[in-house]
Amino acid sequence: MTNEATTPSGQPLGISHKPSQTEAMFTKLKADNKPAFIGYLPYGFPDPDTSLDALRTMVEHGVDAVEIGLPYSDPVMDGPVIQAASQIALHNGETIRRVFEAVETVANAGGVPLIMSYWNLIYHYGVERFAADFENAGGAGLITPDLIPDEAGEWIEASDRHGLDRIFLVSPDSADERLDVVSRNARGFVYAAARMGVTGERATIDASPEVLVERTRKAGAANVCVGIGVSTPEQGAKVGSYADGVIVGSALVHTLLNDDSRTAKDASEGLRDLAAKTESLAAGIHGAR
Amino acid sequence: MSVLDELVAGALEDQRAREQSVSLDDVRKAALAAPAPIDATRWLKRADGIPVIAEIKRASPSKGHLSDIPDPAALAREYERGGASAISVLTEGRRFLGSLDDLDKVRAAVHIPVLRKDFIVTDYQIFEARAHGADLVLLIVAALDDEQLRHLLGLAHELKMTVLVETHTREEIERAIAAGVKVIGINARNLKNLKVDVNKYAELAANLPDDVIRVAESGVFGAVEVEDYGRAGADAVLVGEGVATADDHELAVERLVKAGARVKASETTPLSEHHGPYWGQFGGRYVPEALITALDELERVYDEAKADPEFHKEFMTLQQRYVGRPSPLTEAPRFSKLVSDKTGLDARIFLKREDLNHTGAHKINNALGQALLVKRMGKTRVIAETGAGQHGVATATVCAMLGLKCRIYMGQIDARRQALNVARMRMLGAEVVEVTLGDKILKDAINEALRDWVTNVKDTHYLLGTVAGPHPFPEMVRDFQKIIGEEAKQQLRDWYGIDHPDAVCACVGGGSNAIGVMNAFLDDERVNLYGYEAGGNGPESGRHAIRFAPGTGQLGMFQGAKSYLLETDEGQTLDTYSISAGLDYASVGPEHAWLKDIGRVNYSWATDEEAMNAFRDLSQTEGIIPAIESSHAVAGAYKAAADLKAKGYDKAVMIVNISGRGDKDMATAGKWFGYLTDDQAAALDVTGAHGNAVA
Repeated sequence: MTNEATTPSGQPLGISHKPSQTEAMFTKLKADNKPAFIGYLPYGFPDPDTSLDALRTMVEHGVDAVEIGLPYSDPVMDGPVIQAASQIALHNGETIRRVFEAVETVANAGGVPLIMSYWNLIYHYGVERFAADFENAGGAGLITPDLIPDEAGEWIEASDRHGLDRIFLVSPDSADERLDVVSRNARGFVYAAARMGVTGERATIDASPEVLVERTRKAGAANVCVGIGVSTPEQGAKVGSYADGVIVGSALVHTLLNDDSRTAKDASEGLRDLAAKTESLAAGIHGAR
Repeated sequence: MSVLDELVAGALEDQRAREQSVSLDDVRKAALAAPAPIDATRWLKRADGIPVIAEIKRASPSKGHLSDIPDPAALAREYERGGASAISVLTEGRRFLGSLDDLDKVRAAVHIPVLRKDFIVTDYQIFEARAHGADLVLLIVAALDDEQLRHLLGLAHELKMTVLVETHTREEIERAIAAGVKVIGINARNLKNLKVDVNKYAELAANLPDDVIRVAESGVFGAVEVEDYGRAGADAVLVGEGVATADDHELAVERLVKAGARVKASETTPLSEHHGPYWGQFGGRYVPEALITALDELERVYDEAKADPEFHKEFMTLQQRYVGRPSPLTEAPRFSKLVSDKTGLDARIFLKREDLNHTGAHKINNALGQALLVKRMGKTRVIAETGAGQHGVATATVCAMLGLKCRIYMGQIDARRQALNVARMRMLGAEVVEVTLGDKILKDAINEALRDWVTNVKDTHYLLGTVAGPHPFPEMVRDFQKIIGEEAKQQLRDWYGIDHPDAVCACVGGGSNAIGVMNAFLDDERVNLYGYEAGGNGPESGRHAIRFAPGTGQLGMFQGAKSYLLETDEGQTLDTYSISAGLDYASVGPEHAWLKDIGRVNYSWATDEEAMNAFRDLSQTEGIIPAIESSHAVAGAYKAAADLKAKGYDKAVMIVNISGRGDKDMATAGKWFGYLTDDQAAALDVTGAHGNAVA
């Protein structure tokens, strides 16, 4: 049985009613009429130490919450940029055990630490063990691109015990019934995919995410953030005008890659470019309304 | 004084105080006058679910305060809406902060059975429970001697109430059985660390009479425990804190009910007709939400097609006139003799000839079936993955025949070593995309196909080639492939006058040909089933695709399903190796994982060398050149024969599935056996013409 967590007297842990860090962030930003800026970066990219610097850089230059990616050998929801970054990270010795350092780094810098992971990595590490370690490191919640609520029994239980947010995805062609399932089981926010497809930068964003955000709110989600394909400050401002948060991934990862999109840039140059890109996106997103 | 003694003494004292205002006689009269109780035994066991007894629980001696519960009636109604089968009301006031008033309120609020949970040791408490509308009462064996237990059980039964008898040890269980228990509560908490131990539960619950309902009583918190207890055989569960302290009580109960239904659905028999999404603990849908709508549509259209005689007619007509089915069942006397000489078993071996299908393998059965579904769904574009090229060729073929746009993803390494198949697919009008990401092999082709599907799901169908991936693929592909075994069974009877085989052998990559040939025999215990994985250089070498042998595959989620998986200690997918590209896959279909766990199929492996020897043996004894994939099954025939011999068979009828023909493998074989001159082999390498490079 996976229930490893116990109280000091040896009793199994009950439901944690600890308030959601993510929800607190939204409440604060809403008071200023601002959407949240959520930035993605794979942990361990380009190497474990530089990635900690990069995560800190993002928070220092305007990201409110960081989606720390766990590199995976078979990332089916990711386009070429994040695939390349994940491969570089795996090649340079990324391990899941050390991702909690990244969580602490983000928390210490004043950002809200989220992890994005394909489910097999968490399952293999041990769901309860992951939740306990993540909570201890100051983590806020987990984004699960290939875990739907229907399969998430073990994660729902562990996240309840450890007071962690459960961030599931919805997509433009999700039926109302699916939006309902996701909204009921989510905690923190719902991740709305701006388009059908995998992660990656796009020149334009159409109107479908706005409709999806509306539909997801109607299904009961308190906070809906939009990601996948948002890459410029203008797009961020547009999406931020109606979404509770704007998620940017590939465009940030890109700043750390060479022009071939397959190899990592010199670290100091990469971090400089990352800081500049983060600042311009933050200006666009935070000034959306 | 133990905690239990203390609680019993307190409860008794409180009861005596109540008796001062309401006499035993009055409470007895009230009990007899109360509306008849609900027969709770009918609510606590069902074939399609694990009933949940949800508890109104404010506090416990071990955990202290849990929840205020100002309105127990409202909470009970939430439980009922969530699908609870009964409500447990703690009426002990000192440590659990419950009351008979709670019981009254809950009784009035719900229409499902209500349990009075207290420390009951007297007739008075039993009458009282009934007078307050309880349908069930709890008796704790540890608090009663045999005579009290028998007496109170009898009294409650006389009042037509159901009794949940709580036990902690095997000895208490024996006492409960002797007293005539009908519903037994098993408390499997490890008293040393207070953790729930399902193994202990299974130990305690072993050998109970069949008609006794088993309730898992301790430590049920969420879906995890329901699943664990359900798989260990519990009929029902009792849950307190996990639902009482949840933010959304209804949703919390609903999750438990769903988890229970899922366990039951995952274990249904007959095996040959089992439905997805779950095969035991395996299967499911571990995919992006963006694919769920498409998978739901596919499932719906497939279910409709399955029930539509016209669909069957079209499928079977094409199978006959286009594919060339039925494929023969060929007796192999000279190969049988080889096997007999080597193993001492008098073997009579028959070959199921999927190699004679159009395109040369079993893959066309599934490609054809799914392509007809594509037409039915009104989609216009098909994508597929391929490793060795067999499934890609089959898909390109049916798409050409039906006028569908077709794109095949193939890892760059595979595309280079199967260059002729690439040309073949292009000749058939398909677009072949070489995948240069990841390891550039089959799994990467599947990843890329999934990315395409997520992006283009509106007009595109992903024609997955094996019994893996998310639901409904494992079930649907099985249904399209099971014709292999059905024909073989019939042909064995009609052509050879043999009622049933003693054994069936197949190779297992993703597992579609094996499931196809085995399905018709799954529920016939007389038939021994053998699956052979790609052993590469052997399990210790680290260069293989064996998922089932000890120390190889682990439980994991891969490309849409939970199954066995070759992965690193970080959960990253491992590179696999086999001389046969078609068996070179890191995971295996979820049905196979289940059949392994329940012991229905014997899984083993054949190494490259064993497979190549079998390739030669069959070619030279029967004039039939099998695919290298199928050669693993042929090699397996020797192993299966030895196993049958060890099991006490002197003679045996065996079917070996020849899933495909070996023409595509001639370059590999030519090099392996030295049938090519160095110049010839070098020329093949230069052109990358075909065949695996052999290390």
